Amino acid sequence: MTATHHPVPRNPLDENALVHSTEEVAEAVFLTRLTSPSIAKHIEPGQFVQIHLRDEAIPLLRIPLSVAAVDRAGCLIDVLYEAVGPKTNLLSRLSAAASVRCLGPIGNSFPAPGRHQRVVLIGGGVGLPPLLFFGHSLISCGHEAGVDLLVGARTAAKHLDSERLHRAVSSVAIATDDGSAGHAGLVTELLEQKLSVAGVEDVVVYTCGPHPMMRAVASICADSKVPCFASLEEYMACGYGVCVGCVVETKLAADRHRSEYERYSRICVDGPVYDAAQIIWD
Amino acid sequence: MVDLSTNFAGIPLRNPVVLASGTCGYGEELEPFVAMSSLGGIVTKTITPQPRSGNRPPRIVETAAGMLNAIGLQNPGLDGFLKDKWPYLSRLDTQVIVNIAAPTAKEHGEMAAALDQVDGIAGLEVNISSPNMKDGGMLFGCNPQASCSVIQEVCRATTLPVIAKLTPNVTDIVEIARAVEDGGASGISMINTLVGMAVDIDQRRSVLANVTGGLSGPAIKPVALAMVWKVHKAVDLPIMGIGGIANANDALEFMLVGAKAVQVGTASFSVPDVGAQIPEGLSQYCAKNGIDDIQSLVGTLEV
Repeated sequence: MTATHHPVPRNPLDENALVHSTEEVAEAVFLTRLTSPSIAKHIEPGQFVQIHLRDEAIPLLRIPLSVAAVDRAGCLIDVLYEAVGPKTNLLSRLSAAASVRCLGPIGNSFPAPGRHQRVVLIGGGVGLPPLLFFGHSLISCGHEAGVDLLVGARTAAKHLDSERLHRAVSSVAIATDDGSAGHAGLVTELLEQKLSVAGVEDVVVYTCGPHPMMRAVASICADSKVPCFASLEEYMACGYGVCVGCVVETKLAADRHRSEYERYSRICVDGPVYDAAQIIWD
Repeated sequence: MVDLSTNFAGIPLRNPVVLASGTCGYGEELEPFVAMSSLGGIVTKTITPQPRSGNRPPRIVETAAGMLNAIGLQNPGLDGFLKDKWPYLSRLDTQVIVNIAAPTAKEHGEMAAALDQVDGIAGLEVNISSPNMKDGGMLFGCNPQASCSVIQEVCRATTLPVIAKLTPNVTDIVEIARAVEDGGASGISMINTLVGMAVDIDQRRSVLANVTGGLSGPAIKPVALAMVWKVHKAVDLPIMGIGGIANANDALEFMLVGAKAVQVGTASFSVPDVGAQIPEGLSQYCAKNGIDDIQSLVGTLEV
């Protein structure tokens, strides 16, 4: 049995959300907890939200952010992000009880693994949040085959603390570009090691992170004949399908029965999670 | 009760607020957010004779008080539109204006003839202004003769109201407005996006894969207002004002300079139901200022 089922997404809604708290969990990496009752009730791992900070011309567009954890009873969602631009900086500085608009849940979710499949989550940088949510939900549901997390960052200071990572999964291995923590090098090298040592039988890989990392993960998985699902990111305007801005080229267009119209898939409503083998990774 | 209704170029609108082409898809995606009965109408995403894939990503990027897009008219083509998109659109409780573009004047006419046979279309908007179409769009709209001949071909092929959508990327927009009036257009919508670009200094590349794109949003509103004002003074055709409208005040500004109706575009990306909020705001403004008919404001700017 392989992970192939993509649940049908439900319609998103645009609701008022309140900032509950914000914490800097690594260098310039913030975790903002929002009270967002309807989204907290319905969101599934892999789906995301579009946060509208205020009705002004600058910044104009919403911030698309993946959800890293949910407290359904407490009506809370956690978004985890690096403060790198005007919008993420603004969000990180909002005080408790500040009000924002939150559109979601958006997109599809990670397809469930088969009961006996060992799950490998591989993320880099800002790609970590949906994997944490997914890992935690699998462990909570008693996924006995195990959930291993491989995570890469530029340097040790950018990594979340180990306790926070271990809470979501069965095992954690980290890599840093500068060798300041864990494996010195690329997180994809950890994946290659893992597959060569533990084998590829009954493994399923889920990835989210920078495009070059996911491209490498997709290639390693294709070579090893391991199923792989990737959660993609692209510049986004609306987040509900009308602008057709956030697209990815898929192999569907190679099918002669399909129209040119279907060459590019909208990441916001048709993704963000795709079978990595269906993506053209240029 | 304030009367917001109007007749734009032969299209009866319950209020003067219409969603702009390319910002409301083919209607379906808006269903969770907007009651269509609250809108004057919607303009579909551009359709072309054949299906188009659109441009490679990145297709959009946010800029100061605006955004650039270079979607490249990804659309299912005329047949795909009629088969897969029109059945849904035809049931909407609002006026549906179909936006068309083609590589030649003749093909514009052929599309218009085909759409003329379809029941329920309120009118056609002719996209002679897309900056992201290498074989049409702005290529026509920058040239008065070409603009005129495209509109003539369309008008010859249909009895539907024909609205020419103008590009601001010209030396003299009044000259183009006069040309589409001569061509037989029943109305003008303006402005489409301004050509722009954004540069990534780390990669030393343009952010958009298409290199340039079209600028929209609040950043272009002053440009749009000035152009609507100029065209309103020069031609008799009714104008739908477009460019950075995000609230009722913006819409009123356009009406004062001469727009009979307005289109809301980029604002819907941040606030999906903004198109429904604006008519409410217009009603409130009229009630507060003792205005019975909002059309009495059109073109009343004092200079």
